[in-house]
Amino acid sequence: MIESSYEREFKAIAQEYERSGGNVSDFLRKDIVSIIVSGNKIIGRNTVEGVHLRAKELDNGVEVWLDIDDGIVVDNPIHLCTGYLKPEGVQTVLIHNRIGDGSKVKFISHCVFPSGKNFTHSMVADTNVGKGAEMLYEDTHMHSKDGGVTVMATYRTRVEEGGRFQNLFYLTKTRVGKLYVKMYVDLEKNASAHLESKVYEREDDYLEIDEEINLNGEGSSGIAKTTVFATDQSKAKIINKAYGNAPFSRGHIECNEIIKGDAVEVGTVPELYVKNEKAELTHEASIGRVNVKQMETLMSKGLSEEEATDLIIKGMLR
Amino acid sequence: MLEVKDIKLVRDGRAILNSLSAQFEKGKVYAVLGNNGVGKSTLSYVLMGLESHRDYDGSIVLDGDRINGLSVPERAKKGITLGWQEPARFTGLTVKEYLTLGGKMKLSSEELLEILAVVGLNGDYLDRFVDDTLSGGERKRVELASIMIVNPHVVILDEPDSGIDIMSMEMIENVLEKLKDKGTTVIIITHREEIARMADEAYLLCGGRMLASGEPEEIVQFYRKLCDKCQHINEPVRGDVST
Repeated sequence: MIESSYEREFKAIAQEYERSGGNVSDFLRKDIVSIIVSGNKIIGRNTVEGVHLRAKELDNGVEVWLDIDDGIVVDNPIHLCTGYLKPEGVQTVLIHNRIGDGSKVKFISHCVFPSGKNFTHSMVADTNVGKGAEMLYEDTHMHSKDGGVTVMATYRTRVEEGGRFQNLFYLTKTRVGKLYVKMYVDLEKNASAHLESKVYEREDDYLEIDEEINLNGEGSSGIAKTTVFATDQSKAKIINKAYGNAPFSRGHIECNEIIKGDAVEVGTVPELYVKNEKAELTHEASIGRVNVKQMETLMSKGLSEEEATDLIIKGMLR
Repeated sequence: MLEVKDIKLVRDGRAILNSLSAQFEKGKVYAVLGNNGVGKSTLSYVLMGLESHRDYDGSIVLDGDRINGLSVPERAKKGITLGWQEPARFTGLTVKEYLTLGGKMKLSSEELLEILAVVGLNGDYLDRFVDDTLSGGERKRVELASIMIVNPHVVILDEPDSGIDIMSMEMIENVLEKLKDKGTTVIIITHREEIARMADEAYLLCGGRMLASGEPEEIVQFYRKLCDKCQHINEPVRGDVST
């Protein structure tokens, strides 16, 4: 529920949250777990049975603990909204998630920094997905138009035997600013992970993504997939790594960077390491302009080059 | 009318198209019949003006206007479109978005369903993605539907039956009928006699040039009797590229 003294702040964040595709009314429902952070204040929170939510205000941010009991199926997605409304400053968000054995949960996280001119958001999420548990974490970012936001996001996740973890990161609707994403996943026996990042860079945006899948358990599997659309003078460096450490582990990493503009600088480095002869790792990588055949297909139906590009990219970054 | 005069396109010293001329009158269905490798798809790309196929000699004239220098979108604006032999696939785009070009084409749900029905698809397909989850035949049907929606003056259908089972020939006939009803000039590129027979007139393409034209049955017979024995099979003419 929303703290009464922060109603004005909630409204401002809610407006941006809606713009990013969120549904504000979800924050007001008693059957939905939610937490709303503005700067270093927790301006709203709610939880349900079986989900234990604690939060602490730090000097320049917040620390959140979210523990889900064993065998809990959380019917509605858990909503996390992190906002910062001032143009300058630093915000640190530390998140600790514990998903109990056999539990199922989906997180929808929105980070909204609409006014950032010289603002840094640092987020570290450490997560443990219990045995046989399933977790989906969908993280959507909305930054300011002038590119003055720096985001450093680190996700460290351990998935126990038979658990499933999916992490989706989207920053496609606004300027990126500077973005550093690190995702590390350790997978135990028969656990699986799917990491996916989609970013649309404009002007002089800068992006670094470093994804690492450690296939430590027998029969574990993981996919790390990154799609970047880099335009203007933007720069991007993507490193996807997979370590096949156990028998019958399978990993696949994929990076597609589509470029538009003479001043774009992008790079991708796939790294595969196998420490067990029965592990199997693959990778795909591509850098280039928008697929010519796709472009010409749409243009032959009557779209301009610009319209065709937009439609193709819209699909790819969805 | 679309007139193609003395088209010559050279790749690696070989004339893929060589002195190719043809006329396509408004509202008629034409077949361009020929074996693999004789330049059929190349002709379709030249007519559509693909970036990789604009370095040809000769002229292409649409309703009196020479369109040689026009790009794909410029030709599309003039009402020319292409039904691709192997249509591109698009990650994240639904059939509905593809058919309506991201909403640019304003069609009601009823209109969309009606067009899908012509190509043998139902409304469930509107939310499917135009990616690898569609079979080759389904993708081809979506392509034919998109052609009807564009409502072109001239359409080149490159092997419209490829990937589609033989039982669906009637569907292709229905599509041609719909296009003809709207006064569209249809140029079917094909190596299949059954498809060529659906046309009003036919051309025989061999070695990069039109060898004969006439009634479809006449051209089919010519193709059947002579093309198998022809030295030009799968081998475009090694012409004098300097002329």
